[in-house]
Amino acid sequence: MSGKNHSRAKGLALFFLVLPFFLFFVSLSVGTYEISPRGLLRTALSIVSPASGQDLPAAYRDILVRIRLPRVLLAMAVGAALSVSGASLQALFKNPLVNEYILGISSGAAFGAALSLVFLGRAFPPQVAGFVFAVVAVGAVLLISGKAESHFISLLLTGIIVTAFFSALLSLVEFFASPYVLQALFFWLMGSLSLASWRDLYISLPLVAIGLAVLYLLRWRLNVLSMSDEEARSLGVNVRREKIVVIASTTLITAAATSIVGIIGWLGFIVPHLVRMMFGADNRRVVPLSAAVGASLMLIADDIIRRVSSFEIPVGIFTSLVGIPIFLFLLKKTRKVWL
Amino acid sequence: MNIKVVALEFAYPKFSLRVGGLAFESAKVTAIVGPNGAGKTTFLKCIGAVLPVAKGSLFIDGKDIASLKSYERARLIGYVPQEHDTTFNYSVSDFVLMGRAAYISPFALPSHEDAKAASEALDFVGLSGFADRAISELSSGERRLVLIARALAQRSEILLMDEPTTFLDPKHETEVLELVRKLAVEMRKTILVTLHSLEMAVQYSDQMVFMKKGEVVAYGKSAEIFEDSLLEHVYDMKIKVIEWEGRKIVLR
Repeated sequence: MSGKNHSRAKGLALFFLVLPFFLFFVSLSVGTYEISPRGLLRTALSIVSPASGQDLPAAYRDILVRIRLPRVLLAMAVGAALSVSGASLQALFKNPLVNEYILGISSGAAFGAALSLVFLGRAFPPQVAGFVFAVVAVGAVLLISGKAESHFISLLLTGIIVTAFFSALLSLVEFFASPYVLQALFFWLMGSLSLASWRDLYISLPLVAIGLAVLYLLRWRLNVLSMSDEEARSLGVNVRREKIVVIASTTLITAAATSIVGIIGWLGFIVPHLVRMMFGADNRRVVPLSAAVGASLMLIADDIIRRVSSFEIPVGIFTSLVGIPIFLFLLKKTRKVWL
Repeated sequence: MNIKVVALEFAYPKFSLRVGGLAFESAKVTAIVGPNGAGKTTFLKCIGAVLPVAKGSLFIDGKDIASLKSYERARLIGYVPQEHDTTFNYSVSDFVLMGRAAYISPFALPSHEDAKAASEALDFVGLSGFADRAISELSSGERRLVLIARALAQRSEILLMDEPTTFLDPKHETEVLELVRKLAVEMRKTILVTLHSLEMAVQYSDQMVFMKKGEVVAYGKSAEIFEDSLLEHVYDMKIKVIEWEGRKIVLR
């Protein structure tokens, strides 16, 4: 890469790293109730110093703090979590097609969270059962596919079977749910940010932050782990131990996200690919930029949903409908190898 | 550094390796030869602890290899695999830098010193201008050299190379083996290399290990043990060794 290309890539990387913070403020002003950027800023100031902004409508503060802020933070956390999870798993399994869905993590988490919501109610945090069953699902996939875990076909088939099993269990939970709970469950399963609340965030945000921090610190190590297991071992890596750390972290963040927003398709698969297309395969760049691009895409998707339609399409459907064509377009356009 | 193989055993479902009573020294190249399926690669992988070995079977300068931690072992032994599957298209410099993993905590990034070691390794194999190139853009000969550079960045005194010349044309084959000799002579590394070309093996090695069906058939100084009868026994075919301008040529 020439010096000019280097600085262009650096500039572009900086842009993508700053983008979610810019979109954060834009997203706070988006919604059915119009709040101007100035009104937004004054409301934010009034939270810090209650004496100011007394002329502002009381609804501003409520809308901002109770509805939009948790929703926007949740969108960012989920986008970053799923994208980093996808990037890390792809490196770990040495396969660009792997993601949390293929490994059964998403369906395990969804079943666990649904089980918790139906039988334990909203008062009990769904993240607990979500995480437990995500671990059970990924554990089953890895155990059944055995030592052939780097053998993709075996992993894929086991993933499909385990995912189907947990989907069947989920249907069973739906069968036993009351009509009222079932409606909420159905909406949630399609991937929705509309139910975001501080209560959910208090639990999920720290979990996502911990998992992301671990994977961020391990970002260079992921390069080494993306070599064959034998190569990684010969380079001095305790492959088994480090694999467990990466899988546990990705399972944690995926479960924390899926438990409160349902299954968001394709994000964890597409974002790392987009980042690699632009910045190459080095996970020192792929991990942080996947977090930034994933958070930005979720914010943009949610903003469009809130802005365009009076009824809210679940964001999970939206990411799949928009993400797949974008990915196919880029795949066709980018002729060079980027994997 | 000296390697001592006391009694090494490793079993796959349909193959078992039993090797013992071998010693390898610094600044020497040992060629491991034998027919396909003789266990050459398995033997190398056991020494490199890529495959698990039992306690008391292998020693490096008196230290039992099975008792070493992954990173401790990798600082002593570098392993150059036969092939590398390029799932992810890293740049050459990023790839060689991975050779420093044994010196970097899992949660840390490579330092400037690590980058320097990687760059020196790339210089040594003659690919300094390739740092920013993508692995997928390299020829198979260049890719072999990059694999060797990664093992050199590891700064281990022992280097294990699994068929580093397979699929290379005669020119690149010679270049790689000249490099192997240079590593032994200039950097005083203990080198074990598996080879299929018997002529190259006898020309570039100090000692040879002949393997067949998971066992060592013969072991000694290359010039002394390289004879028709041994080759015929190992390969189960008619083989004649002739001398031409001081070199041994194999006729079959």
